[in-house]
Amino acid sequence: MTEKPMTRREIIRVLGKSAISALPAAALAAGQAQSGKRPAFGPLLQVALVHCPNYEPERLLEAIRAGWRSTRPPEVRGKRVVIKPNIADFAPDRPIHTDARLVEALIRHLGDLGAREIVLAEGPPQNRDTEWLFRQSGFEALARRRGVLLVDLNYDDITPVKCVNPRATLLKELYLPKTILSADVIISVPKMKTHKLAGITLSLKNMFGVVPGMKYGWPKNTLHWNGIPLSICEINGTIKTHYSIIDGIVGMEGHGPIMGTAKKAGVLVMGANALSVDATAARVMGVDPARVDYLVMAQTIKLGSLRSENIGVAGETLEKFRTDFVLDPEYSFLRAPKG
Amino acid sequence: MGPIKPMPNLSLARALDFIKASQNPDGGWGYRPGGQSLTEPTGLCVFALSSPGDKAAAGRGLDFLKACQKDSGAVGIHPKDPEGNWMAYAALLAFHALGAAAEERRLRDWILSFEDASGRLTPDNIKAISADYRYDASIQGWPWTPNTMAWVEPTALFIIALVRAGVPRSHERIQSGIKLIIDRKIPSGGWNFGNPYSKSHELEASFMSTALALAALGAAGVPESRPTVGEGISYLIRGLAGDVSTASLAWILLALKSYPAGASQVPIVAARLAGLQAADGSFRRNLFETTLASLVLGDAGALLRPTGRSG
Repeated sequence: MTEKPMTRREIIRVLGKSAISALPAAALAAGQAQSGKRPAFGPLLQVALVHCPNYEPERLLEAIRAGWRSTRPPEVRGKRVVIKPNIADFAPDRPIHTDARLVEALIRHLGDLGAREIVLAEGPPQNRDTEWLFRQSGFEALARRRGVLLVDLNYDDITPVKCVNPRATLLKELYLPKTILSADVIISVPKMKTHKLAGITLSLKNMFGVVPGMKYGWPKNTLHWNGIPLSICEINGTIKTHYSIIDGIVGMEGHGPIMGTAKKAGVLVMGANALSVDATAARVMGVDPARVDYLVMAQTIKLGSLRSENIGVAGETLEKFRTDFVLDPEYSFLRAPKG
Repeated sequence: MGPIKPMPNLSLARALDFIKASQNPDGGWGYRPGGQSLTEPTGLCVFALSSPGDKAAAGRGLDFLKACQKDSGAVGIHPKDPEGNWMAYAALLAFHALGAAAEERRLRDWILSFEDASGRLTPDNIKAISADYRYDASIQGWPWTPNTMAWVEPTALFIIALVRAGVPRSHERIQSGIKLIIDRKIPSGGWNFGNPYSKSHELEASFMSTALALAALGAAGVPESRPTVGEGISYLIRGLAGDVSTASLAWILLALKSYPAGASQVPIVAARLAGLQAADGSFRRNLFETTLASLVLGDAGALLRPTGRSG
């Protein structure tokens, strides 16, 4: 065997440490960190923090409308819109997946805005029993009730796509589902969660689910071997997420993304730039986004900005929503100081 | 296990009609009618059509699978896939069923040399994995894709296909695969994708993984006197009281048919599964599920029994 012997965990650790130590320096070299200068993003990246204390349908719809209005959402009239929730697994006693009631409110909102077609799509990462997962998580009934297509991305028709940013990847090309490639608008709707291998999982990490298991295995194991931070950046560098809505009404803390415990934050985090939305959600969780390796990497490859001076927060103040999520002990270094 | 007569409430003819009507012009089948031709659904459809069905349709499917085979003998997900992967199990079933001896021999040899990442792990790596996930990563099984870790389900699928293709159960890869499956069991019973624990958290079993693991152990001749087997069967029987998907029901039926302890549940599960057949003969209009359900409701031995003929 000539290949370097490494475990998934070691790869992740090595990449994580190198990213944390090297990438901020790279960003500094580009004049983007700590200088006080406004990078070439043009206007501020708008992110909305919308208070939403529960999953009552009308309250959800009102919250989505408010957040949508106060950001720069994509035009959806006449478009094919693919919603990507997070259905990593199902357990009756843990809020692992995006709440289907939130997605139903989004479907109503998009319908009101004139979306031509709305599709729900997910490729669960480790449990191949998607029929069961979709049913248990309420998405099968939702799709039937709202007359929208529900697609298992793990077994969708696929096409190889050349990676758009070779600096961000170890994979040369990505096989991607037709449902994703044919979308006019993609909306990532993850759960606000901590993650035992990535620290936190939000909009960008949610896009792991678009990668087909039939090609990359379960739990998307090829991507783990390639390194989680790099894979997140490759996927998001290749597929544009046009809008993100993070379900922080009830999130999950501790040993996520599966074995954590419920954590109420009472907030939706919304915006058109997934990285800025994730950075803002991280701050809500009491996490310093500049310590999250894949967020730093994503900024370096110009997927947006995680820096607060580049993000215009609409709605209520960040301080009001800060709810420190219990981190996996290996990721305790992500904690942002208070004040 | 003796031959099992088809369940009376399954319309095998309608299922086969649905399968035949869904064949793509390139000879293959997708997971859904009109979907991209892929190795797994094509292999299962060819296998299902090889005996009672349409030999011409099976032959066209066989040609598609031959086009998927690389010089190395590997079979990937479709003809343009540059590498082999887990779907090769279905191609092996098809090559064997249709007597494509040369292709079968090359594919079988590739599968037997298809390595997981266990050979790349150092003792420290293995110790770390053991501490976090509580399994022995030095045991060789089969991965979903090249150069990655072995998992329960691809290991089970390859064992089932290899035994069916006549590879002796005593073969070291099959024995190692059995060892891996047993090592990865969940302490409270059953299997999931392949991590019994995540640090201090015992992870939950799933129906599909458990059923596949048991079907493979049954095919490989592991007796039900092994506590692991009995605990797995108990897990499945308990789970049958709740919601179970079509594919999981089919795999559960196969698992229960593999062991005498499951025999009393076989008619109940068979009736439940057969009741899911739609008017068009399909199961959820999914070619893989339709074929699998038809096979296990018909003669499960077709999947599990070695033929004594190897390519």
